Amino acid sequence: MDVLECRGLTKVYGKKEVVKQVDLTLEKGKIYGLIGRNGAGKTTLLSMLTAQNPATSGTVTYAGMPVWENEQALSHLCFSRELGNSGTGANGWKLKDYLRTASIYLPHWDKEMEQRLMEKFHLDRKQRINKLSKGMASMVTIIVAMASKADFTFLDEPTAGLDVIARQQFYRLLLEEMEETGRTFVISTHIIEEASDAFDEVILMRRGELFLKEKTQELLERCVHVSGRADALEAATRGMEVHAKERFGRGSGATVLLRPGERIPTNADLTVQPMSLENIFVALCGEGEEL
Amino acid sequence: MALSEILTQEKSIYLQIREMIERDILRDVLAEEERVPSTNELAKLYAINPATAAKGVNLLVDEGILYKKRGIGMFVAKGAKEKIRNKKKARFFEDYVKGLLTEAANLGISREELIAMITEGKGEED
Repeated sequence: MDVLECRGLTKVYGKKEVVKQVDLTLEKGKIYGLIGRNGAGKTTLLSMLTAQNPATSGTVTYAGMPVWENEQALSHLCFSRELGNSGTGANGWKLKDYLRTASIYLPHWDKEMEQRLMEKFHLDRKQRINKLSKGMASMVTIIVAMASKADFTFLDEPTAGLDVIARQQFYRLLLEEMEETGRTFVISTHIIEEASDAFDEVILMRRGELFLKEKTQELLERCVHVSGRADALEAATRGMEVHAKERFGRGSGATVLLRPGERIPTNADLTVQPMSLENIFVALCGEGEEL
Repeated sequence: MALSEILTQEKSIYLQIREMIERDILRDVLAEEERVPSTNELAKLYAINPATAAKGVNLLVDEGILYKKRGIGMFVAKGAKEKIRNKKKARFFEDYVKGLLTEAANLGISREELIAMITEGKGEED
């Protein structure tokens, strides 16, 4: 099976390690959610996976071929960046010229899809890139990603600035396209909750490191929030993977990532609650932060 | 301070605040005559509107479970634990048994089967 893989992928800017030793295998026909705080290394990781940015060390391969400067491998990949950050100097261009250029660089471009989405999002082809609102710019990155028809498509913050209706349209579109074509999508987003139902797997980056990659449903099933009397909580969670433990007088609360076979016994001194992906994100990434 | 649960969307926030305080009192996380977090502290802790927090706390004041000391704050009343327990007992049929009976009827579980399950479950608890 054609997979996209990276091993020991690292990026250093000056003295700062932005991405540290990331090992990742991405399969066909999946939607991956890439989440992490600002500066966690998400965009740098995506740009290295798609050979838009050279890695300091480590390898990226598609179907066993190195991706770097490999036209054959790259024809299967598309990284639709946020507009304005693309560094292409395309900001003064008209939308139609921008899309025409994209269609030249992306060998499997689907013109019909482009037209259909331009209408769906009510965009004007004559509009200049630098005159687009933030939401409209996001729509353009979505159009490029979708029309690219690349087997592995990466979207960086595609829902930024979109209203809730456009966001729902986007996730529907994504699921439809994945169903029909078996393409793989990797989406970075900060609007986690509404996206979690669309993600097959969650990839969580923390300070440049891959903290976890796991099936969304399995992660949700094994993460629980436990609260109650501090001594009872201490006894019930001993030896477990505990995060974001907080103490309030005699009370205490914590997030527990249950390992296979582990469970928190129900008793009158403790409340055990299921968690949303957003709750889990805050517990894992907000640890030690004052809220 | 106490109150360490997470808020959910399944129920009104002010009711969840009230129930959390009640649970903390039942578990001795909050002792009688001890100060409870102010509505402003609750608002900050849960990132909710202070008026919403106040609504939950005031329900408990009305029931005599919490009381206000002017200029100092909100405290757990003497006998609060007993009061909460009695209140929950009085509501037990409404809150738990009624739903149980309805679902048992839906599934065609007989009275005898139901009693057998409860007896068995109680044995496991002990």
